[in-house]
Amino acid sequence: MAVSHNGAADSLLLNKISKIFPARGGGGEVTAVNSVSLTIQQGEFLTLLGPSGCGKTTTLRLVAGFELPSAGQILLDGKDITNQPPNKRDMAMVFQSYALFPHMTVFDNIAYGLHIRKLSRSEIKTKVESTLDLMGLRNLGERRPNELSGGQQQRVALARSLVMEPRVLLFDEPLSNLDAKLRVQMRSEIHALQRRLSITSVYVTHDQIEAMALSDRIVVMNQGQIEQMGTPDEIYRRPVSRFVADFIGRANFQETRAEAMMNGEATVTLLGQKMTISVAGSPKAGDTLVAVLRPEALKLRADSSLQPALVEQAMYLGSEVEYRVRINNDTLVVVENDPRASHIFAEGETVGIDLIPEAIHLLPK
Amino acid sequence: MLTQNRYGAEIRRILQDPILTISLIFVILFVFVAIILPILAMIGASLSEEGRELFGHYLSTNAYQSIIFNTLVMGVTVAAAGTAIGFLFAYVQVKVNVPFKRFMHLIALVPIISPPFAVATAIILLFGRNGLISKGIFGVRYDIYGLVGLTLALSLSLFTIAYLNFKGMLQALDPSLEEAATNLGASKWRTFRTVIVPMLLPGFAASFLLLFVEAIADLGNPLVLGGNYEVLATRVYISVIGLHDSTAAAVFSVILLVPSLTVFIIQRYWVGRSSVVSVTGKPTGTAQQINHPVVRWSLFGVVMLICALIIAIYAVIFIGSITKVFGVNYELTLDHFNFVINGYGSEAMTDTTTFAIIATPLAGILGMLIAFLVVRKAFIGRGAVDFGTMLGIAVPGTILGIGYLLVFNNPITIALPFVGDNVPAITLIPKLTGGRAVFGGALAIVIVYIVRSTPAALRSGVALLSQIDPAIEEASISLGADNALTFRKITLPLIRPAFLAGLIYAFARSMTTISAIVFLTTPQTRIMTQQILNETEQGRYGNAFAYCVILIGIVLVAIGILYMTVGSSTGAERSLEGGT
Repeated sequence: MAVSHNGAADSLLLNKISKIFPARGGGGEVTAVNSVSLTIQQGEFLTLLGPSGCGKTTTLRLVAGFELPSAGQILLDGKDITNQPPNKRDMAMVFQSYALFPHMTVFDNIAYGLHIRKLSRSEIKTKVESTLDLMGLRNLGERRPNELSGGQQQRVALARSLVMEPRVLLFDEPLSNLDAKLRVQMRSEIHALQRRLSITSVYVTHDQIEAMALSDRIVVMNQGQIEQMGTPDEIYRRPVSRFVADFIGRANFQETRAEAMMNGEATVTLLGQKMTISVAGSPKAGDTLVAVLRPEALKLRADSSLQPALVEQAMYLGSEVEYRVRINNDTLVVVENDPRASHIFAEGETVGIDLIPEAIHLLPK
Repeated sequence: MLTQNRYGAEIRRILQDPILTISLIFVILFVFVAIILPILAMIGASLSEEGRELFGHYLSTNAYQSIIFNTLVMGVTVAAAGTAIGFLFAYVQVKVNVPFKRFMHLIALVPIISPPFAVATAIILLFGRNGLISKGIFGVRYDIYGLVGLTLALSLSLFTIAYLNFKGMLQALDPSLEEAATNLGASKWRTFRTVIVPMLLPGFAASFLLLFVEAIADLGNPLVLGGNYEVLATRVYISVIGLHDSTAAAVFSVILLVPSLTVFIIQRYWVGRSSVVSVTGKPTGTAQQINHPVVRWSLFGVVMLICALIIAIYAVIFIGSITKVFGVNYELTLDHFNFVINGYGSEAMTDTTTFAIIATPLAGILGMLIAFLVVRKAFIGRGAVDFGTMLGIAVPGTILGIGYLLVFNNPITIALPFVGDNVPAITLIPKLTGGRAVFGGALAIVIVYIVRSTPAALRSGVALLSQIDPAIEEASISLGADNALTFRKITLPLIRPAFLAGLIYAFARSMTTISAIVFLTTPQTRIMTQQILNETEQGRYGNAFAYCVILIGIVLVAIGILYMTVGSSTGAERSLEGGT
């Protein structure tokens, strides 16, 4: 991938960075990050997404300076910071475990970095107090971290980084220690805050919903390399590989054959229906393709003219019904949104299966 | 090219920070010069031609073989008895429903401050031929000298290590494991046998090995209580003090060093890695206690009996210090205290306390610094630094003492090349031991105090530091603080409980140590433990006991002061427990 240089808007630039660790317990080595190149624009919210061990956290720690790259360069506003120690980088990190200083009050936690910058006492007080207000932590300044709830601790961690007004804000899976409900709420708060302050942010998570909700752009990583980079919509609707399609959202995969190719579109037959849809890459007619069928691209209907399918399992989830249906030897997952509007099929019933061509994506095998 | 960078990046990172670089170099120099060099010198001396002959002679002669055998037997019996007593106290404390738990806990902690010879002497006065209990109550002329007496004295002095070890493990044991066993139909006894004991096996191994090393290294008790039961540590002592034969001393030392080091290495690399007690930080319910009346009260009885024995021993020490002649003339007198405080002993008292006060903070900070470097910084040889520091306590004190005599009895100098003979050589390390040593040998004693105390501080530092999320320090760095500021403002306050424990241990250890400094005292540096030995050997028990009472008093006052200054609660301890 070529690194773009489109002027002053570039904030952070990673140029072919790699990180090699000695393998645990003796000889050999592990390539955690393998020649990753990225540009992050001023004010952009970029998420590194991937399964555990894909190198996303190492990449973030390289940006923060906690690890030094084995090869490659990191530039901030055009300045090479590759070997700069982490405390000299104009960045602040929000940690998964919050990493609040347990022996200091909330106020002192937030003021910590400002003291190091040698700001005056009154200036520190003003800044900390306005940040406390911003984060809805007013009146909690004298508490200690262990006297706060999980959500409040998360806010203090965020406040401690925000008060520094860093060039880049780094997030290392900050919401993974919160319960489901609080996570959704904090997600929306981070979203609103980042858009309002437009701080350049790099966010690491393994939760694809979090990534889609927050990001301007998502970088999907796998085995130390970038698998795909794009807006949430691009990643979800036009994944470039089976790995990305599988990792982002749920997907059924069906092998099929390109009967004809024209203008980047392939004619294929899926579940007994012939259709022409766009395909990633440039396969030739006759090539085997993989169709990505999102659960919402499939519809179950009481229509015997369609491909018949046996309902093996039906799970009512409130806002949707999730079916597992069997066609020959394949099991497909079908999600029916808004159960009130349609009939709920019973387990053991045979139904017809329909699909929405626009919601289907083809990958080369 | 990438392969070369495996450690390269980490080293570059350390070198970027001058304070970090200097601390690291200092620590490595300290470990090498103050610990490893003396041990190597001692081994070197034993391998001289003369030494090699002595090895052959000692290992093939019956009399010497029995000394080696005696040492090992004593190590095993003390380790077994001490581990058993420690486990019993811990089990009763944590798992059995009995009264007076606080009292039992305090009594179990008392032996931490046991001045050498005091327990042994008290045991002779209680159980010896004219013993208060043996002859006075049971009317028998029992000969306590030898293995029985040594086992009694040493296991009562050392079981605290095992007790604290087991207490921690039993408290950390997840009660849901026991509940699961009970739920599956196991009785209490079966649960004990099949769940608790196997979970604690590494603890048993660790305690046994630690006590074994401590027991065979001990000098004070065999000198007083050994009688005809000779062990290697006393042989080393007699070789130096009585026979002035440093080669023989080095040879005996190496023979003693073999089991000590073997056990230390087993303990470190085998037992240390197989701990099965998992600290989840989320206790799932409260442990059920044993309520069975027979079990409960018989365990209670045994523990109380041991408590009574410990109290009796310390009572003898106290009463002996304020009466004319214990066991003969119980007329109250302050002569012994007068001797120590105003007379001949006052110098020893102030000297020892001063040296301990100098050594304590240095050992504490050094321990925390090494713990920080070892746990948090990736550098080549951090395993060696940790191991080298631990050698300071793993080798018997007598061995360290002889090593110091061998290495530091002459100044270590370096002659500059190409400048001719009339330029004096540069002194790297001045003469530290023997006559005309710097500060009358005080420097060597302070260094030995530090060497002997740092390992405990290091271990408690490592234990606490590995429980603290490294992200907390990274957060500080991310907010702009450098390594030194982070260590001072974040790490040190967070490991304050370990620091406090290290300081208390360092002070108590320095005040009570004998084996390591017995060869290093000079006429200018009188050390209390050395004086206690002299008084005991002369049979002036009253003076010895007065020294002990004052020594215990000084240590207690110091602990109080340390708690007040270092131990003030900042909430850090609480929040660590609370799992922020």
